[in-house]
Formats: sequence, C-alpha cells, structure tokens
Amino acid sequence: MTGDPPPRPAERFEEVVDAYYAEIHRYAARRLGPDAADDVASQTFLEAFRQRRRYDPERAGVRTWLYGITTKVVSRHRRAEVRALRAQARLGPGRGGEEHADRTDARVSAQGLRGELAGAIAALPRGQREVLLLVALADLGHDEVAAALGISYGTVGSRLNRARTTLRKALGGTNPMLALEEQHG
Amino acid sequence: MDEVRMVRDGYAEPVPPTPEELARKVAGVKALLAEPPRRAVPRPAPRLWWGLGGAVAAGAAAAVAVTLVGGNPAAPGDPSGPLTLDGKAAVLAAAEKAERQPAGLYWHADQIQGQAYVLRPRTGAYAIIGAHGESFGWWGVESGMGEAYYARDLPARPVSARDAESWRAAGSPSSFRVWSGDAFHTYTAKATAWRSEGAEAGVRPGGGGKFLGDMSAEDLQKLPTDPAALAERFLSRAETEKAAGVGPGRGGDPGGAPATAESKIMRVASLLGGAPVPPKVRAGLMRALAAQPGVQAVGRSTDPLGRRGVALAAAERTTTITGESGTAKAGQGTYRSRSVVLFDERTGALLSQQEELTVPGGPYAGMRPGFVINHQTVRSAAWSGSKPTPPAALPFG
Repeated sequence: MTGDPPPRPAERFEEVVDAYYAEIHRYAARRLGPDAADDVASQTFLEAFRQRRRYDPERAGVRTWLYGITTKVVSRHRRAEVRALRAQARLGPGRGGEEHADRTDARVSAQGLRGELAGAIAALPRGQREVLLLVALADLGHDEVAAALGISYGTVGSRLNRARTTLRKALGGTNPMLALEEQHG
Repeated sequence: MDEVRMVRDGYAEPVPPTPEELARKVAGVKALLAEPPRRAVPRPAPRLWWGLGGAVAAGAAAAVAVTLVGGNPAAPGDPSGPLTLDGKAAVLAAAEKAERQPAGLYWHADQIQGQAYVLRPRTGAYAIIGAHGESFGWWGVESGMGEAYYARDLPARPVSARDAESWRAAGSPSSFRVWSGDAFHTYTAKATAWRSEGAEAGVRPGGGGKFLGDMSAEDLQKLPTDPAALAERFLSRAETEKAAGVGPGRGGDPGGAPATAESKIMRVASLLGGAPVPPKVRAGLMRALAAQPGVQAVGRSTDPLGRRGVALAAAERTTTITGESGTAKAGQGTYRSRSVVLFDERTGALLSQQEELTVPGGPYAGMRPGFVINHQTVRSAAWSGSKPTPPAALPFG
C-alpha cells in the first residue's frame, strides 16, 4: 500500500477487500477468535460494499471507515465476546502462568488475556470498550476513532480515560505490566 | 502505567492465516459481493444500435458532453492485477461454456434497443423506454446461403411497476414527448409489424454478405481463438474507433493512447451480439475483454428482460448536460454512469450491453443507481439448422 492512494470504495471495491481484509480479520480475530473473525470480516466487507456509495472521503479514510463498520458488526457478536472474556476471567491468572502458551494457545485469542484484565474489559460499558480496543488493537488515533464511531473527539478522550481508570482500579495494586511481560516472556 | 499498551500486549496475536488461506477468504468475500443485492435493482430501460450488418441510426440521444473522469486506470501490461480476479473468474467460467455451444448452419440474432427518458409531470416523475425497437437478423454460415434483416418498433412503455403507477397517475398517456439531446421526439405506445424492407431491413436469398465490416462468414470461421490475438485484432484504439464510428483524434488522448474500456466493451458486445462468430472465437473474445485494463468484473446485474448475468464494466464516467444544445434547466446537470456487458452464466451467451446509472443527476435525477439509461439487449441469438424467422410475440408482455 505504500505510497498508493487508497482505493475508492464506490468504484473499486475489490481493491478495498484486497487492501484491508487481512487487517480487519486480524482485529476481529484478536477480539473474538479465529472462527468468528471469518464471519466478522465477511460481514464487514459485505456491509461496506452496500454502503460504498455513501462513503465520504472527506470524513474518514477507508481504513477508518471500515473499522467503524467492523465495530458495528462486532457489536452483534458482543455477547459472544463478553462471554469469552468472562470465561477467561473465571479461569483466573493460573492460565497465564502456563508455560506452553505458545502459538497454539494464542489461537484462542482473547482467551489469552490475563484473567483480571479480561474481566475488566468485559465489564466496561460498550462505548468505552470500543474506543479502548480501537486505540489499543487497531491503533487508530483519537480523530480516527471519532470518525469511525461517529462521536466527537472529546467523547473519545473521555471514554478512553474512563476505561483506563476502570482498568487501573480493577487490576488493583498488582503491576499488570509485569505479569503480562512474564506471561509472554 | 499505560493501560492501552497493557491491553494491546494482553491480547494474544492470533495465528495469521497462511497466504493460501487468506486468498481463499478474500475470494470468499468477493464471491459474496457478487451475490444478488438485497435491494431490488430497478427494472431498467433503453438506445443505441450496434446494428445489423453495419452502421445504424439511433434517432436518440445526440450531442451530450461526455467527460471521462477518473477514467481507465489502464495499468498496461497488468491486465489481471490483484483485483477482480474472482469476479472475472465467473466471466471466464461463462466463456468456457460459450466454447461448448454447438455450431450450426444459420446464425440469428434478435435484439432489443431502447433509451430511457424521464418525464416529469406534476403528478410525479416516471421513466419510459423510448426509441424502442427490435431487430432480427439471420445469416447463413457460408456465402450464398442467404441472409435477412427485419425490424419493428416496440411500444414506448413505463420502465418499472413503480413507473407504471406514476404513468397511470398522469392519466396513462399513450404518447410521450421527450427531449432527446437536442430536440423533442414523440414516442407512442404502439408496436409496428415486422418489416423486411426499408432502413436496416432486407432479405437477400443469395446473400452471405460481409460481416464486421469486410469479413465473410468463412473469414469469421477462421478467426483466431487466442484472446491476445483477438485483442490485437479487434480491441486496438483504431479498431474500436472505427467500429464506433468515431474518427481519429476524437474521444481521447492523442498519441496512440489505448482504446477506452467503454469502446472495448461496445466492440465485443457488437461482435458477439450481431455476428455469427464460432463458439471458440466467442469464448476467446470474452476472455480478451475480461483481461483488458480498465475492464472490471462487477458481479451480477440484470438486463431489461429481467435476466441476471455476470457483468464486466468500464470505470464510471461523468456526463454533464448543459444548456448548450437547448436542453431546458430541468434536464441539465451531471450524472455518473458506466458501460456494462452481461453474460449468461449457464451458456456464456451475451445478454445485454447497457449503460447503467451509478450516480443520479441531470436528466436522471431521482432515478436509482442501477437504472439502465440505454441498452442493446439480445433477446435470443443462436445457431440453428434451418432458416430462422422473427418471433411474433412482443418481448414485453
């Protein structure tokens, strides 16, 4: 993609699929696991294809636009996501300590999350979780998150702050960074 | 403590799909896109004769300023590219089928042409098909076996059920006075009988005349089947311009620029729609067109007879109607459209070549994307063992 102008959805939609499928699939896989990721990615591009003539390059980049749609699609899988996160939370930190947390284990995606963190993310209000994950996993800037979700720049900041505060409190006095480093060590 | 980073690191990296898996998934998505859209495509309408045995008068749609915008990306030498392979694969699969259709002694082609016009009475706008005609021709496979051309006018008619409703609200008029580029035309809701004399018609029992300019039926049988050879022969700029009746130096950049995707689509549709080219050549032409830069697979579309087919299209173009040639304010403005050619997936047959509205405006303000501005539709075209006759029944019940 380097240097190329982004494909124009209304005219060359298949190029949009070529350019962004892998990234959207990865994002969905991290949130929901590989099986749901196939569905989410397909549904995202199908929905985007239907809306392609309404895409407004003035408002958002193609990538941002797609993440906005992905977010809506994921929200239809929200119960599955929250269920997976809660299940992981119940398993607790013990799982994180398993040394064979290799690529096979990583297949379970969000289930690789440490217990308390998973539980805390599951407990976040949906709006906060979406902002948090678009920033953390999709690497969108605040302005892009605002465009993707159709909310104001200020709302992005406040939701993100609240999410961070909640996570910090939920994780209490431990140093999650350290724990995570160990887990991935 | 950075919670964002914590979350980022906390989510495990999923095992990425292998390149093969990824290709399969991407292909799967593209196949989904090619499924029929949920929204009903408005039933299209019609102009433009590519004509039996040569040049034809349209009697419609003169003098509009056509500007190509964002035209043909024309990445030379890379006709396949990373895009549209899967959509094109559907067309290629249809070409495989064209290759297997049997040849015969006589080729016939029955074609319907029309041009859409939007009327805007106070009771509500509706679209009709005017300049509506049907032409039927047959050709012996060898010279001396005869040939014949028939033509009849078809009734001007509201395009869709919705248009018919507004037409009734306007008092069900049986004639339509429409602005056609630079003058008013009146089209009536009456059909004429088939005629075999006069313009664009005639019977030549001892015929077996020239096809595609100066080729005999025998010459057609000897055409190459290789797509590259066919492209070189028929899809060069000089060839497509000659076929479209455009003199050199018009319609594009000077200096040997390649032919536009539109003109290539027209050319192939013309070759397939009116000429008794043998099945393997038909298949080769479809392959050649699918491989042209600027020609995209656009999934499936519907022709004015309601048949669905796999489609190839040129990039969108922008047309601006000004007041220059006397068009009233209401008809002025800009719309976008693209040239589309449809093939039957089961048989590989050419179904229709049509200009589809993509962004409404100007004379087509208020119409929906997918609206067919004009069309040249093949009602039937096939080889047979005996001399064909034109059908009595009108194409639209």
